[in-house]
Amino acid sequence: MIDTAAFARSFDRVIDDALFWVSDNAAFLFDGLRLLFEGFYGAVYWALGALPWYVLAVLLGLAGWRLIDARAGIAIAIGMAACAMMGLWSGTMSTFALVLSATFLALLVALPVGVLAGLKPRLNRAIEPVLDLIQTMPPYIYLLPAIALLGFGPGTALAATLIVAMPPAIRLTALGIGRTPTEFLELGKSLGMTRGQMFLKIRLPFAVPSIMAGINQTLMMAFGMVVIAGIVGSGGLGQAIYDAIRTLDIAKSIDAAIAIVILTIVIDRLTQSLVQKKEGTA
Amino acid sequence: MTTGNMTAEDTLLDCQSAWKIFGKRAAEAMEAVKGRNLSKRDVLQEFNCVVGVSDASFQVRRGEIFCIMGLSGSGKSTLIRMLNRLIEPTNGRIEVKGRDIGAMNDADLRELRAKHMAMVFQSVALLPHRTVLENAAFGLEVQGISKADRNATAREALTTVGLGDWMDRYPTELSGGMQQRVGLARALTSDPEIILMDEPFSALDPLIRRQLQDEFRQLTKDLGKSAIFITHDLDEAIRIGDRIAIMKDGVIIQTGTAEDLILNPADDYVAEFVSSISKLHLIKAHSVMVPVETFLRDHPGASADDLAQASPETDIDDLIDLMVGQKGAGLAVVRDGQVAGVVTPASLLLGVKGSQASEGGHG
Repeated sequence: MIDTAAFARSFDRVIDDALFWVSDNAAFLFDGLRLLFEGFYGAVYWALGALPWYVLAVLLGLAGWRLIDARAGIAIAIGMAACAMMGLWSGTMSTFALVLSATFLALLVALPVGVLAGLKPRLNRAIEPVLDLIQTMPPYIYLLPAIALLGFGPGTALAATLIVAMPPAIRLTALGIGRTPTEFLELGKSLGMTRGQMFLKIRLPFAVPSIMAGINQTLMMAFGMVVIAGIVGSGGLGQAIYDAIRTLDIAKSIDAAIAIVILTIVIDRLTQSLVQKKEGTA
Repeated sequence: MTTGNMTAEDTLLDCQSAWKIFGKRAAEAMEAVKGRNLSKRDVLQEFNCVVGVSDASFQVRRGEIFCIMGLSGSGKSTLIRMLNRLIEPTNGRIEVKGRDIGAMNDADLRELRAKHMAMVFQSVALLPHRTVLENAAFGLEVQGISKADRNATAREALTTVGLGDWMDRYPTELSGGMQQRVGLARALTSDPEIILMDEPFSALDPLIRRQLQDEFRQLTKDLGKSAIFITHDLDEAIRIGDRIAIMKDGVIIQTGTAEDLILNPADDYVAEFVSSISKLHLIKAHSVMVPVETFLRDHPGASADDLAQASPETDIDDLIDLMVGQKGAGLAVVRDGQVAGVVTPASLLLGVKGSQASEGGHG
């Protein structure tokens, strides 16, 4: 009989040792990453906080009016105002900043990777199972290695969120770039296009709706994860909910939940309308 | 076959024994085909490769419209794509204006495609997010020509194809026929010598199709372009083409004018294809006339000089009118002031049927 328990113990020990080794020997790397993440988040948060709440609420309302319609604009402005009225403005902005910075950093990686995967089917086949793995694991699993390597705080929340948020953008970008209709590829070739022209003038325009959908999905994934990351001290609404749960302060947790729902709807509607705008002209 | 005696300057495109074998072991299969003369089925069984085009040879002259007719799966679309290397030939040599395109590097090939050979697709392939004008100017945009210049050229081309009032519309606002005109305008903007037409009119309504066929032929002739035109419709090939190649299972069975195909079909397949075609406008007097001696033998005492006259290029339809309107025993076919032969009622009837007069033929 194989001693499975012993095997499991030694397996776990290997994992632990590896994690410790990494955190001991690659500390400079993770300190750098943490600095980068927190610095970036800090800058976005500062920028959002620089405006009084009513200015930002009106700006988002105007954006809604331009992109969707007047009703949506008014609803968005009222929703944002409600967040401020509940005394959750700073938490809302901190969550907003986390979502924006996580999405931006995720796209920085996901878009180029998605483009490459779209152009190279073999690379795509190699990436697919990794994305499947990332997406099937419960999202809070990423908090553990993140906290072990980066410590407690918004940098950790950002790192875990990045991982969770990347897959949809990679997948949908690869799909969009890889599925250019054959006749247009032939057209490009028959006109004597270079590879660069083929990408910019043929593949990319056809992929834009799919890429925009990917960006929207990434944003939504980031949202979900940022709230969960309240556990590791992300700050913002996620942490407000986590704190309220620990003290069983149901009223407060519901306030925070309402603010989260409002922010989610605002961001989703605004980015969705961008997708539809793009599709409308395509 | 009328591919003989041509000088090199006449030939714009020369396709010499082009092969396309699809599959991972195409190179091996090609060697085996050359060495052991394998059939299409053998290649499939032995190498798991599909022969798309086998041993296709033809020449296209300057100013000529060359049709390649075949049913789906005959390899015609593959063949036309080998002419600008959208599909790499497995074997064979294709020369455009005397240059072997197989030996061209990427830059030369791009130049060839951009400036000398334009292609028009069945699906049109207009970019949906660009206006008609931008689509027509797209080829020039790719070549890096300034916006003002390319738009001016595109406007001119669109006006030529009758779309002067539609330049700022989007492709979805246009009917199928109009879209195909934009495709043609896009091909014309780069002023290519050769236009490759891949079943451009197949998806259109019959009436629109016929109109576009006539316009296309007229336009190509007016502009002095050469065209290679793929179609699955023999009527279309006859209407448009100066010469027609008939393809079946990747092989060009016969190349010739419509008249050649009807009068001397290479095999039963071609014969069956042409059997349903109306010959009235395709067969000319020189093909149905009998020699003067034959006529005189059958009609002692008659003289060819007394007969009503027709030119060698008069088609059967007009010959019938002439025959009915005169009293003699035949029509004298006059070439360069000489009576070259006589069309008799019997030879005319044979011509209507699509067979040549028993004695005679080309002078």
